[in-house]
Amino acid sequence: MNTSTTIAEKITPGAVLLPELDVLQTTLAGNEQIRFIRRKALKSFRLQGLPERKNEEYKYSPVAALFRTGRSFPASTHSLTRNDLTPFLVPGMDAFLITIIDGKLSRELSDELKGTPALQLHDLASLEETPSAVFQKHFGADALITADPFIALNTAAFRDVVFIQVPNNARIEKPIHILNIVTAEGAELVNPRILIQVGRNSAIQVIENFIAIGKAEQTLCNALTEIRVGSGSTMLFYKIQDHCKNLSLISTTQVYQDEQSHFDTHTVSLSGNWIRNNLTIVADAEQCETHLNGLFILNNHQHVDNHTLVDHRKPNCESNQLYRGILDDKSTGVFNGKIYVRPDAQKTNAYQSSKNMLLSDDAGMNTKPQLEIYADDVKCSHGSSTGQLDEDALFYLRARGIGADSARALLMFAFTRDVINTIRIEALRTQVEELIEKRLTH
Amino acid sequence: MSKENQLLEEITGTEYKYGFSSDIETETAPKGLDEGTVRFISNKKNEPEWMLELRLKAFRYWLTLEEPRHWAHIEYPRIDFQDIIYYAAPKKNKELKSLDEVDPELLATFAKLGISLEEQKRLSGVQSTIAVDAVIDSVSVKTTFKETLAEKGIIFCSFSEAVQEHPELIKQYMGSVVPYTDNYYAALNAAVFSDGSFCYIPKGVRCPMELSTYFRINTSGTGQFERTLIVADEGAYVSYLEGCTAPMRDENQLHAAVVEIITHKDAEVKYSTVQNWYPGDKEGKGGIYNFVTKRGICLGDNSKISWTQVETGSAITWKYPSVILKGNNSVGAFYSVAVTNNKQQADTGTKMIHLGRNTRSTIISKGISAGFSNNSYRGLVRIAKGATNARNHSQCDSLLMGDKCGAHTFPYIEIKDKTAIVEHEATTSKIGEDQIFYCNQRGIETEKAVALIVNGYCKEVLNQLPMEFAVEAQKLLAISLEGSVG
Repeated sequence: MNTSTTIAEKITPGAVLLPELDVLQTTLAGNEQIRFIRRKALKSFRLQGLPERKNEEYKYSPVAALFRTGRSFPASTHSLTRNDLTPFLVPGMDAFLITIIDGKLSRELSDELKGTPALQLHDLASLEETPSAVFQKHFGADALITADPFIALNTAAFRDVVFIQVPNNARIEKPIHILNIVTAEGAELVNPRILIQVGRNSAIQVIENFIAIGKAEQTLCNALTEIRVGSGSTMLFYKIQDHCKNLSLISTTQVYQDEQSHFDTHTVSLSGNWIRNNLTIVADAEQCETHLNGLFILNNHQHVDNHTLVDHRKPNCESNQLYRGILDDKSTGVFNGKIYVRPDAQKTNAYQSSKNMLLSDDAGMNTKPQLEIYADDVKCSHGSSTGQLDEDALFYLRARGIGADSARALLMFAFTRDVINTIRIEALRTQVEELIEKRLTH
Repeated sequence: MSKENQLLEEITGTEYKYGFSSDIETETAPKGLDEGTVRFISNKKNEPEWMLELRLKAFRYWLTLEEPRHWAHIEYPRIDFQDIIYYAAPKKNKELKSLDEVDPELLATFAKLGISLEEQKRLSGVQSTIAVDAVIDSVSVKTTFKETLAEKGIIFCSFSEAVQEHPELIKQYMGSVVPYTDNYYAALNAAVFSDGSFCYIPKGVRCPMELSTYFRINTSGTGQFERTLIVADEGAYVSYLEGCTAPMRDENQLHAAVVEIITHKDAEVKYSTVQNWYPGDKEGKGGIYNFVTKRGICLGDNSKISWTQVETGSAITWKYPSVILKGNNSVGAFYSVAVTNNKQQADTGTKMIHLGRNTRSTIISKGISAGFSNNSYRGLVRIAKGATNARNHSQCDSLLMGDKCGAHTFPYIEIKDKTAIVEHEATTSKIGEDQIFYCNQRGIETEKAVALIVNGYCKEVLNQLPMEFAVEAQKLLAISLEGSVG
């Protein structure tokens, strides 16, 4: 389907990608600045290699299996029409649609951000024509290539960048809906890249869907989204991983919060073969408020790893984490939540809760809630529990004439409510509720 | 503010009470470590061939290992293992027949530490409650109440004695819970351990008194490597106490001990430690590196092991007393108070490995950090597949005193069985101003209020300690922390 070069098979993880990455440098679009960033990232990736088994951050999600065979970088995009996208839209939600196919912005399948002259959508091509100082300043500034090999890998191999700029004092009522589509069928590696810059005193809602159109059995998507929330701004960010089929997905979100900003995010993982969500929040000014919510419902051999890091750098901030997971069959889940309170960040309130439900004997859950605190006047806590369906509750429902399956579904649905209830876009909440209902009663 | 500073001054000024060193004639091995050292120690102890073989095996394995440096939340310069004396023993001229022949300086040392070895003089007429095995530097100097215990069939003696007199038990149990391949320091210990305590409680016997080992590092430049092995046979019960101190010195001394506990069916072992090694001065100079491997296994059904520890000393504490819950219905418990002040570092916690059915474990960890110290809780709860109806509850709280210290939690929770119920809670905070205000209002001055609140905070753990230890622990807490919050 597309012209992609294949990589020689090697066993050493990381090394297997290098020859192809070298070739990529010469063929990918971008001006001198972009090329320089890519080259630097490649150098860093070469040094780091892929995380090895002993790497603490990847202890429960070894990546070696993902790189056993070589990977190619798809070079051209699939031809899709608007009709093809209908199943992925949120019914009843009026939104700006942005479509990214195999890491490249599709202008035809994206709405022009009309009616909001201030809102800007760029890709590498348009940035070439009208360079943006904001882009130059912030691109790659928060997602440090040395922090994680997959950040370096994405930065070395992204084909395009989708840059959304929200100006100051703009309250955008209509949500922005990003469809991140992977059309690849084989052992490809796709590196979508997004930068969202929100100015001062603005408000924005963004939904990002991950969608695999092809079989995607061997495909790996290594997505990276950088977000900057300006002072006094509010951003709601919903990441929905539902139409992923057998895709393997590493989804990194790097958020930087300025003074008095508010960032509220949801990560909902329902399908996909192997998913790693890296969510890093840097609260680098006073009075930031952050909410991280997550929900995953897994079966078969699915694996989902939610890795969060909230870095409190300044005083008087608040963060709140709420994660719920239901695991069936041979699925495995990971929650690794790190709260970091720096010496200056007095009066920090940080809270974390992770609850999980195991439905089968072969499912497994690994939890690592981690607090690193260097300031004394703080309130930090975490709670975590793992168990099975409450027999008493089940009995209560059964005694009232509710069938076993319905009773189980009802209880599990109730278990997910904490997270679903906090979704603020009504149409999206209804859709997620329906998806979950379908999953739990199938 | 000035009041606060004054109070802070006070604590940093608190002297380490056990910092004296005694002038006891000792016999030491030359510095450094090679096969010769291992043979020297073995030879000194008149060990049988099999023991030497075991040591050498461990030593050769140790040579293949690399010093672990990165995973724990602690920092220290590389240890020069060739710059340590691996064997130091109070010189004895002949076999001691009675206490009168013991070096009076040595007796005085223990008297200063508040431990009386003169059992006959204690509370005459009343049955005494503690039997003591005192280990100075590397060697057990005296075990009290041996005869009384022997009547019940209880073996309580130094490790080297056990090697000579009960080789079958040592062969059977030594290394069965902590094999020499377990980790770097376990391998080192297995190669060069000098002494320690051995305790065997036979079937159905409830040990009538508390057994205690007292460890003391005295000689400069030595490392202490002792081994404790406790075996409780079917239906047996014992409560075991361990205490430790060391003189104040500018150098860092290494303490790498191994403790193994085995409980058979229906048996119970309660292990309590008040660890008060010299923590170094307020600049962080000197102090003991306490790198210890402690692990128990509930082999039989319905058995129980509990670890209670109060950690106030050591420049660096690095230990994870663990329980492997193998028998069905077995119970593991871990109660810990870890206090760090000045430049102390602690990375401590536990591992609860659930293998049997209906196993239960409880973890209660209370960390207190003050000064420039870093205090970490690191724990693992693993529910293996097939460990049905396993239950764990963990709670780890951290209390911060001062804005230059750190408190961290690194819990690992791995669950492979759906019937498991595992809960984990952790909090970090400082003493609330409202709490202090409440006490002040009722006429309790700030300093006393802090002591009150800290004691209340640690109560769940201190309650687990035997009487004598609880008193000592409370005093230690007071010394370590009095006045650290204004």
